[in-house]
Order: sequence, then structure tokens, then C-alpha cells
Amino acid sequence: MFQLAGNRSATPPLVSIFILSAAALAYEVLLIRLFSIIHWHHFAFMVISIALLGYGASGSFITVFRHRMLNNFDSVFIINTVFFGLSAIACFIAVQQLPFNALEILWDSSQWQRLLLSYLLLTLPFFFVANAIALTLMRYHNKISLVYGVDLIGAGIGAILVMLLLQYFTPVTIIRVLAISGITAGIFAFHNLAGVNRKLFATLLLLSMLAVYLTPHKWLDLRPSEYKGLTQTLQMKEASLLYSHSSPVSQTDVVQSPFIPFRNAPGMSLQSEAKTPEQLAVFRDGGEMTTIDHVTDISALEYHDFLSSALPYHLHDSAEKLLILSSATGAAILQADYHELPQIDAVEPDEQLSLLITERFAEYFGWHRIKHKVEIHTIAPRGFAASDNDYDLVVMGPSGASAGGSAGVYALSTSYDYTVEALQSYLELLADDGLLSITMWTSTPERGNLKLFTTAVAAMNNTGISEPQNNIAWIRSWNTATLILKKTALTAEQIKRVREFSLSRSFDLAWLPGITPNDVNQFQLLQEPVFYLAARSVLQQQSPVPEYNFIEQYKFDIRPTTDNRPYFNNFFMWSSFDEFLAMPGQAGISMIGVGYPTLLFTLVQASMAAVVLILLPLLLLRSVKVKTEIKREAGKRKNIVIYFMAIGLAFLFIEIAFIQKFTLILSQPLYAVAVALCAFLIFSGCGSLYVQRLMETAESSVIPDLIRRSVILIAVIVILYITVLPSLSSTIMALPETVRIISAFIMAAPLAFVMGMPFPLGMAVLQQNHPHLMPWAWGINGCASVLSAVLAVLLAMEIGFSGIMLCAVILYLIAWRSNRM
Amino acid sequence: MAIAVSIVIHRNSFLEFFSTGLYLIAMPAKHIFLLLITQLLCVANAVADEYILQRQQMIAEIEDDVEITSKYLKKQSFDASVMQAMQEVPRHEFVPPGRRTEAYENRPLPIGHGQTISQPYIVALMTDLLAPEPGQSVLEIGTGSGYQAAVLSKLVARVYSIEIIEPLGEVTSGLFKKLGYNNIETRIADGYDGWPQHAPFDSIVVTAAISHIPPPLVKQLKKGGRMVIPVGTQFQTQYLTLVQKDMQGKVTSRQILPVYFVPFTGGH
Repeated sequence: MFQLAGNRSATPPLVSIFILSAAALAYEVLLIRLFSIIHWHHFAFMVISIALLGYGASGSFITVFRHRMLNNFDSVFIINTVFFGLSAIACFIAVQQLPFNALEILWDSSQWQRLLLSYLLLTLPFFFVANAIALTLMRYHNKISLVYGVDLIGAGIGAILVMLLLQYFTPVTIIRVLAISGITAGIFAFHNLAGVNRKLFATLLLLSMLAVYLTPHKWLDLRPSEYKGLTQTLQMKEASLLYSHSSPVSQTDVVQSPFIPFRNAPGMSLQSEAKTPEQLAVFRDGGEMTTIDHVTDISALEYHDFLSSALPYHLHDSAEKLLILSSATGAAILQADYHELPQIDAVEPDEQLSLLITERFAEYFGWHRIKHKVEIHTIAPRGFAASDNDYDLVVMGPSGASAGGSAGVYALSTSYDYTVEALQSYLELLADDGLLSITMWTSTPERGNLKLFTTAVAAMNNTGISEPQNNIAWIRSWNTATLILKKTALTAEQIKRVREFSLSRSFDLAWLPGITPNDVNQFQLLQEPVFYLAARSVLQQQSPVPEYNFIEQYKFDIRPTTDNRPYFNNFFMWSSFDEFLAMPGQAGISMIGVGYPTLLFTLVQASMAAVVLILLPLLLLRSVKVKTEIKREAGKRKNIVIYFMAIGLAFLFIEIAFIQKFTLILSQPLYAVAVALCAFLIFSGCGSLYVQRLMETAESSVIPDLIRRSVILIAVIVILYITVLPSLSSTIMALPETVRIISAFIMAAPLAFVMGMPFPLGMAVLQQNHPHLMPWAWGINGCASVLSAVLAVLLAMEIGFSGIMLCAVILYLIAWRSNRM
Repeated sequence: MAIAVSIVIHRNSFLEFFSTGLYLIAMPAKHIFLLLITQLLCVANAVADEYILQRQQMIAEIEDDVEITSKYLKKQSFDASVMQAMQEVPRHEFVPPGRRTEAYENRPLPIGHGQTISQPYIVALMTDLLAPEPGQSVLEIGTGSGYQAAVLSKLVARVYSIEIIEPLGEVTSGLFKKLGYNNIETRIADGYDGWPQHAPFDSIVVTAAISHIPPPLVKQLKKGGRMVIPVGTQFQTQYLTLVQKDMQGKVTSRQILPVYFVPFTGGH
């Protein structure tokens, strides 16, 4: 078939492939971390599609230059490993040099160009890795499944390795390690080289290694956006960094500012004479800020009684057991302490935050004063909620950045803390007369609190509370709102106390049994009393004659959030799109927020790239002799596109749905990404190796049958999961972390194993019929994955994760119909 | 008059350039020097002229925006004195040199140190909400670029402005001196405590991110005084909170959305 020069090695460079795949995947996970620190987390989606675009581009590139590259396979392979190593470090440095400001994207068109340039630059390392792998697949065409299997398993191991590395090293150090790994992959392939080239390549490898090693650390230093909280805070006179810690989950920084003290007291009453104590600011990924109070004696905590979140403490005389959900750096613990609660349980998923108040800054925080009555559990609220208890009070929030200050950057993040299922589980933790209190930042126009309210009412309905209007109190301060839920009706005394508490602190009533329109909008005047109007409408929907449907009329999506569609922070609705665009200036785009447009832009960008990358090689090929063959096989060519497109889309749809399911089970998004990637890649790799074994013994005519069987099996397993996953997840959530991780692996294993089969099987068909189109198919598959990563999120916001999994099933069935290539 | 002259020069620049070229050949050195100075002045005038035009355009845009949002703001136009101040203050002096061409666009611009100069429309709206009058004294928390203080200084007797980023505060303070804004007093300090020595104030502008309305500032506000606080991130169209202290000392806050937004009408 191909004229291959040089000494022809019988075995593929499997060790190199393994190292390369591991390094490339680790680089991908690392970029997600780095982008979260430098910019905001919504760029994570861009990173995933960047990587896959590299793979797509490589497919097209090889389709065009395959002869030349295959003739010099060993040299080309090594060059690509070296280029991966060098570009991994160089492209990151270059991207940091670009003055890209994510927030200015709505105003300045040159920001889009910079974003596009960053996108293309970061595609390069993945392009080189993909070249090396795709060429190996072609060169060792009789061992496709073996190479593909090792590639997937390598990537799976890479996902775990990077998590381990992030535990002990900073992201910047790891970039260097990964660059060196890439070059090392080249060294492992070195022995295949013929005589003349050996000296040249030895020098190249050595020099590259030196270049990576000698890259000044300063060049790699992270340059976070100057608009992030940490960067801005450190500019204040005399502000300084006290402590920094990097973990796989987040970067934690503690800052002191003696000249301009922090005075974090969310929504403190205007009637308060209380002073805030000295505080330290704690930043996560340089963005979200919380504070640690310096507690010398309990009087320093008086200000906590002037926050809207103090309301539950005024409604329960005999409260003894309290649970705090997401205790962060302990503000809620101190508030409970000020109100003399004798037993405080707290849950906080990020152990780093808890350690700040119990160890590193324990003395500052006064931990020793209260530790006898406080117990902090490192688990997500949902995980803790899964075990039974009888709490008098369960309190939550406010957490992180205020909604008004987030610019919609969290629109794409999923949160399982505020879903209908979550609130139901919190309600179940309460004693019969217990109170659930949730405080949240307000926003303008209001979004989050209204969604919380509709979600809460849905949860109460599901719990069997027939008249929720009697069980809810809702108040708001200048920039926070506190929602109180009770399993039984609020007593007359409690209703009276809510009124007294609010009046004495100039807080406004939003809902209370017996509330009238005259009671609302007294102190913090909204243009329209949306809190009250929303509450009245939602609660009256259940009456025989409901008034207008507030939720449907509202310009933002404030429908209840569920575990299936857990985008609490996404409020965008297409039905308001025209109206937002018609607003003067950029006001409307501000309403939409930056998260959603960035995702759309990524999709458009990726679609264009995909079309170009799929069509370009075809156009070029026409000029390269194969024209007649291609024309003759137009029908089959269509099938190739459909088959590899469909399995590319479907694979990522399922993988992303599983990442979400695992986020709920494992409680940390990054762990979920790593475990899902690792499980899917390793077990798909095993599936591919299994195909290799089958192919060695079976006739090639069985391939279509194998495709049919694997695809049907995938469909059956997915449908099974859609049915059982929700109940399975809630059982697993309550288990210890190690068991949860193992369970996640076991859940992914059978599905991933079968999902590893269609790709090598399809490639095997091509190998028999049209070997020259193999890299093109590899490219199509890569491009499909690019689209899939973004499309999955856009679709999930509308149809939920079960919907995405169903789409995947349909796509697999389409692939099956197109297997005649 | 100077403006009129510069416009003529601007229009005839091609002719002038051509004739100057011929003239230069035979000119003694000292005349060249004089000519260069004159040329520089002409260029400067032409640029200044360009800025005036841009400023007029900016004013027109603000007026359009007010008209669009008039139903919501409950007024047809901002106070004439506010618009006059917006017309007079050279906004381009308050943005970094590299961004001057964009100075009069109706958008926020970065000014370094992670800070921005607010959108002109928002500056006008905030100023209008404060209902400034001659003889008043105003406190500003967050000097930033200095543009807001400069606009206010045209309308009131004294502006006291506090900045927390030292290098930024120093640069802006120097700029006020250079441009002759002598009724603005600045300092690097903690804005939370206000400026007790000069209290009480007729109005206060808070442009720093805050978790609650600082009680010391409320105290330093005169009865009948107004405080404006923009909410939301930089680069977004900001929403405002107007805090009012009535003659009895009762404090209320009111949310102001600078965009037309109707939550309940449904169809559009």
C-alpha cells in the first residue's frame, strides 16, 4: 500500500503513545484549572473543544500529507512528540502575553480576535499529539485497536496522574513536567530511527529538554485577570498575601489588609451600630471572596445579628441542634455561636477552607473557644443530607460572589445544592418544628432568589406539604434575601417575630402568612416588588383560580432547578432574546451575561473549524489524483461522515452526562471530570483492545455484525442508566469518598467498554475499503467531539442530562444505519 | 475664535502641507523652528476640535438613551446643568493615552489597576440622581479615573474624593491639578469611614464594591441628602441604588435600572 522507508519496526511505539496520551490529557485538565485561575471557569468548555479541535485538524493535515509523513514515520513521530513538549509550554506563555480581557468581550471586538488567537495557539500541542497517534494508527494498520486501546488507557491514567500531581505541585510546575514527558515519549521512540538521523535527533531531543528545563519560571508565572477580586485586593495600600495553597480543586489565597480593613457583612442592616471585627479575606481561584473574622470575644460578633441570615435564630426559642450547609470560612458558625447554639454541625466540601479556620488561622478565628461544640464534615451538602437526623435549624449561605457581581460567568456551572431534590433532602433533615433557612445574594433585575423560591415551593410540594404558603417566610435586605421553610405552618408568634425582626432592621417582607401588598417594599424600594409578586403568583398557582403565571411571564428563566437540569445560575431564555438585543447600548447583552455568549461563540467557532477541517482535505484531495475514486464512492463517503460524526457526538454526550452524574455523586466537579474521563478512557481502551483480539481470530466479514451488536448494547445500557441512575445516585452519595469513587468507576465500566468498540471497528472497515480516508475519518470524529462538548451543555440547559443521553442513543442508532462504508 | 481658526486650518491642511513643503526649501533654521511650533499647535487644535465633536456626539447618544429609558427613569431628559458639565469635561484626559480614540464612546473603558472609567451615560445618570446644586459639598468613595469627580466639580462647590489604590489616587490627584480642578480634594484612605472632617455631605457617590451600605457614610449624609451606589461588575451596564435620607432622618434605598425592563408584560 504505502512505500515505507527506513527500518520498519514490527511493533508500534506503544510506550511513547501511552506517555503522549497521558501527557495530553493531563495538559487538558491542567488548562481547565489554569483558565479558572486566570479568567473564569466557563472557559473550561473552550479548553475541551480546543483539545478536540487539535485532533480534528491533525486528521485533515495527515489526509493531505500522509505519503510524505508515513515515508518518514519514525522521524515525523519524534518531531511531533518534541513539538508537543515545546508547544505545551510555549503556547501557554504566548497566550498569557495576549492582553485578553474576558469581561470586555461585550464591548470590544478585538477581544474576540484575542480569544480566537488563544484558542488556535492552544490547539497546537494537541495537534502534534494527534499527529503522532494518527500516524501510528495508519502505519500499524493491522494493530489499530491495540494502538487506539493504549492511547485511551494512557489518557485515562493521565487524568488520574494530573489529579495526584495537582495535590503536591503548582499548575505551573506541572506544565513543565508535561512538556518534559512529551519529549521523553520521543526518546522512547528513538531506537526505531535509522543510522543517519540518530545523531541529529539525539541533539534535537537534548536541546528541547534543555529548553524546557531552562525556561525561566517568571515567564510561566500566572497572570490572573486584573479584574478578579484577588488581583484588585492586592493593589490596596498595604494589602499582602498571607498564605496560598493550590489543590486539584481550587487555589486558596488568604489576604490581610491593615490599612483598608475588609468589612464583609452581607446586607447588614442600616440600623446597625455594630462594628465588623478585623477580617482576613479568603479567595478561591482568585475570584470568590469570603472572610475570616478575628474573634477576641463574643461581642465582636454582634454584627451577625444585623444580617438577614440571623432571622431563623429569632424564630426558634429552644433550638439546640444546628446544621450549616457549606460553612466555608466559618461566618455562619460564628453567627450560630453568637446566638448561643449548643451543638453545631457544619458541612464544607472544600477541606482547604475548613483547615484555614481549624488549623492555620485557628487562633485568629478563635477555634479553640468553640471547637467543643462544632464539628465540620468534609462533604458536599447533598452527601451529608443523605443521612438521617433531626435538626432544629438547617442554614445555608450566602456563599461566594454576589450574584450582582458575577457578570453571569457562573451561568454554565452546575450546582446540585439548590435543586428540588436538594431542598427536599434538606427538609427531611429537620425536626418537625425545625426551620430551613437559605440566604442568597440578590441581583438586579432579580433572578437567583426567585428561582430559589420556585424551587423551594416545588420541593415542598414533593414532600407532601399541601399549603406551603403558611410554611414560608421570606425577607430581604439591601443585597441579600433570606428564605425560611418549615415542614409545619409558622405559628402566630413566629409570624409576629418575623415582622419585628424585619421592622427593627429595615428589612423588607417578601412573603409571610397573612402578608398584604401594603406590607412590602418599604425600605429597599424595588421598581416593582418582584419578590412578593413572584411569591404570591407561585403560591396561588395551586389555588383553584390561579392569577397570571409569573414564572412564564418573567423575562428570565426562574423555573425550578432539578438534578436533571441543575443550571441554577443560568437565567437566559431565548424568548427574551429579541427584547434584550433591542436595549440601548450593551445593556441587553449584560442581561444575558457573558457565560452563555461565550459558549455560543465557542460553538460557532468550533462549527466553522469543523466544516473547514472536514471539507478542506476533500477539496485538496481532488487535486491529488484520488478525485475519481472519491467521486465514485460519493454514497459511501456520506456514510463515513455520518458514522464517524454520530459516534463522535454520542461518545461525548454520554461522557458529559456522566461527568454531571459524577459531580453529584463525588461532590467535586474536578474529581468528577477526572474520574469520568479516566473511567471512560480506560474502559473504552479495554473495549478497543478486545476488538483487536477479536479481529486477530475472526473473519473481517463479521465487522458489520460487531458494529450492530456493540451499538445496540450501548443503547440498552444507556436506557437502563437513564431509569436507574437517579435512585442509584442518592444511595451512593451517602457512602464514604473512596467507595463513591470506586462505585463511579464500576458504573462507567460496562458502558465505556462497549463504547470503545465502534470507532476501531469503523476504522477497520475503512482499512479494508478506503485506507486513504482513515485520517479523514479520524478528523471527522475529532471535529464531532469538538461540537459535542459545547452542544451537550447547550442542550442540557434545555432538555437535561437524561435528554442528552437519549440523543446519544439515537446517534448510535444512526451510526449503525450508516455502517456500510 | 481659536476653534474657528483651527477648523479652517484643518480643512485646508492639504494645501497648507503642500505650500509649507515648498517654503521650507528656502527657509532659515530659526524659521523652521517657529514653523514647527506653529504646526504642532495646529495639530493640537485640530485634535482638540475633534474631541469637541466627539463630545457633542456623546451628549447626543446620552440624550437618546435617556429618551429610550424615559418611561423608566420618569423624566424626559437629565438636568441641563448636568449635561452642560458632561459637555465641558474633557473625558479623553481621564483615559489612558492608548485609549483616547475610544474615550467618547458610550462604554466603560479600562484605566489600569483593574479599574474602569464608567460609561458616560451612567456617569450622567448618577450625577443627575444626586441632584447637585451650587454650594453643595459631595463625597466620592473611589476616585478611580477622576472623571466622575471632575463632572461633579463643575456643579457643586466642593468634591472630596477618596481612593484606596495609592498609585491610581496619586496619578488622578496630579491630573486634577494639571487640569485646574481646584475644588476637588483627594486622599488615599479607607472610604468606609467617610471623611468626618468635612461631613456632613449633601450627597455621596460610592463606586467601590461593598457588602453593605456603610453606616458611617449614612451618618455623614445630611438630612434630605442622597447617596448613589452602582451595583454590578465593571464592563456591565450597571444598576444603581439611590439611598435617600429624609428630613426626619429615615433612610430608604431605591433601585434604579438604567434600562427599560418590563417583567410582567409578557409578549414583546
